[in-house]
Amino acid sequence: MTALRHPAIAIGGGLVLGMVAIALLAPWLGTIDPTQIAPAARTRAPSAEHWFGTDMLGRDLYSRVLYGTRVSLVVGFTVALLTSAIGTAIGLTSGALPRLDDIIMRVMDGIMSVPPILLAIALMTLTRGSIGNVIIAITFAEAPRMSRIVRGVVLVLREQSYVDAAITAGSPTPVILWRHVLPNALAPIIVQASYVSASAMIVEAILSFLGAGTPTSTPSWGNIMAEGRSLWQVKPFIVFFPAVFLSLAVFAVNLLGDGLRDALDPRVAKKA
Amino acid sequence: MRHYVLRRVIATAPVVLIVALFVFSLLYLAPGDPAAIIAGDQATAADLERIRHTLGFDRPFLVRFGDWLWQIAQGDFGTSIFTNMPVMKMIGQRVEPTLSLMAITMIIAVAVAVPTGVVAAVNANSVLDRAIMTCGVLGFSIPIFVVGYLLAYLFALRLNWLPVQGYTPLSEGVGPWLANLLLPSLALGSANIALIARTTRSAMLEVLNQDYIRTARAKGIGQMRILFLHALKNAAIPILTVVGISVALLIGGAVVTETVFAIPGIGRLTVDAVLRRDYPVIQAVVFLFSVVYVLVNLTIDLLYTLVDPRVRY
Repeated sequence: MTALRHPAIAIGGGLVLGMVAIALLAPWLGTIDPTQIAPAARTRAPSAEHWFGTDMLGRDLYSRVLYGTRVSLVVGFTVALLTSAIGTAIGLTSGALPRLDDIIMRVMDGIMSVPPILLAIALMTLTRGSIGNVIIAITFAEAPRMSRIVRGVVLVLREQSYVDAAITAGSPTPVILWRHVLPNALAPIIVQASYVSASAMIVEAILSFLGAGTPTSTPSWGNIMAEGRSLWQVKPFIVFFPAVFLSLAVFAVNLLGDGLRDALDPRVAKKA
Repeated sequence: MRHYVLRRVIATAPVVLIVALFVFSLLYLAPGDPAAIIAGDQATAADLERIRHTLGFDRPFLVRFGDWLWQIAQGDFGTSIFTNMPVMKMIGQRVEPTLSLMAITMIIAVAVAVPTGVVAAVNANSVLDRAIMTCGVLGFSIPIFVVGYLLAYLFALRLNWLPVQGYTPLSEGVGPWLANLLLPSLALGSANIALIARTTRSAMLEVLNQDYIRTARAKGIGQMRILFLHALKNAAIPILTVVGISVALLIGGAVVTETVFAIPGIGRLTVDAVLRRDYPVIQAVVFLFSVVYVLVNLTIDLLYTLVDPRVRY
């Protein structure tokens, strides 16, 4: 029912489900091995045999783009999950312990002053390029914002009479946080998590595009675009297809986030 | 007023210090052994030792941090591991393209986004408004490099209106300089335009419902005057705030845009440094850009008092 009243959720959610299906079913969607090189068939334009054409090593771009969906979705989903968990833990701690609040929030302000892409780039300079490290680097950049949002919710809820009642009744702080505060913080966390996963997909693609992300042995949209970069003026299709998929995936998740925001809590729109 | 400015400026110092501490700590926060990563796979034990020494791993954290602070206070960001040049000099050579790009982008973004947001607010919930807001989500979703390639393909390769890539220094004339920067600025600004337009719309919606706007209408003041003088001025604070926040997008995006359009700026320097694992350069760029971001937002805080005399902290 909710989906019907919020077309953004239906369209965004539908597109996301479609992407998940592509990622899961990639081996059965008429793809061949995305890493198989064929020097004789380099940079072929899209055709019946190679729907999206081939890259400079003759690898089938349709297969590479479809398999690339996996990287983006895994990064988007994992970063959203990790960011939510870490941000919530920090936000709850900060909101519940006024004595620590000042220090924690100053540190978060410091981290948030570093533009996220630069922060991820700096971390990637110091580690080996791997999907795991990409996820860690992006989570690092995204978690402070999440913790601020959760802390904001805790500060509002702390003034509510039912929380006062729970305190008076002698409930220990962790129980109050778990039973009374967290359920109310869930809506803004979910909404923020969807934006985080959209931005994580963009940052992963950017890192890979710059050569500091997913290792080139794994096909990801950013990697494919990086490989097509030097040829884009003559063979624009190499960059085109991963670009369309990336944009569509990010658009879908952002749309879903907007829909969830309106559906779950109209007030969140203003606070965020 | 002067008191307020002074207080705000002083309050920025600890933020910069925390940023410095954080940027410095990245070396210790990164998973794995950064020295080994920077040295590369072919490094000898002596190479590794030298890198450890350059990065300061052979000294206690706080001593090293203190030294670093003292150095950067004097404008010394160390020397590049790759070129052996002072990092500050390398950055200095690259400042002009990046500053030009960011300035033009911000001007275009505000000039496009604010009127668009106002139009959307005035026609709230109409087809036009829906269309503008959908474009907004699109602008925010399509990554900068995708927009960049799209614009370059259309306007440079197909239509031949503008140069495909590169940069012309301002000293060679405003025309060529602007021609080279137009497409990159549009690409870089796409997300900012979306963000600022969205905020302008919601801020204007709130203001347009207020009594004094109705009073102004009743007095027979023209629509344009009401919108751009009476309403926009009171909607300015959230708009200014989001302009400040969007500078972070601009900084991160500059790295990508300069790569797509082959602009020899700080962003390009950063990408080269990442590929060479030239950490001193990365560290300096991250710190300097973060300080720029903090200072921009300080300026915006100070602008609040000019726009809205009610703001007094």
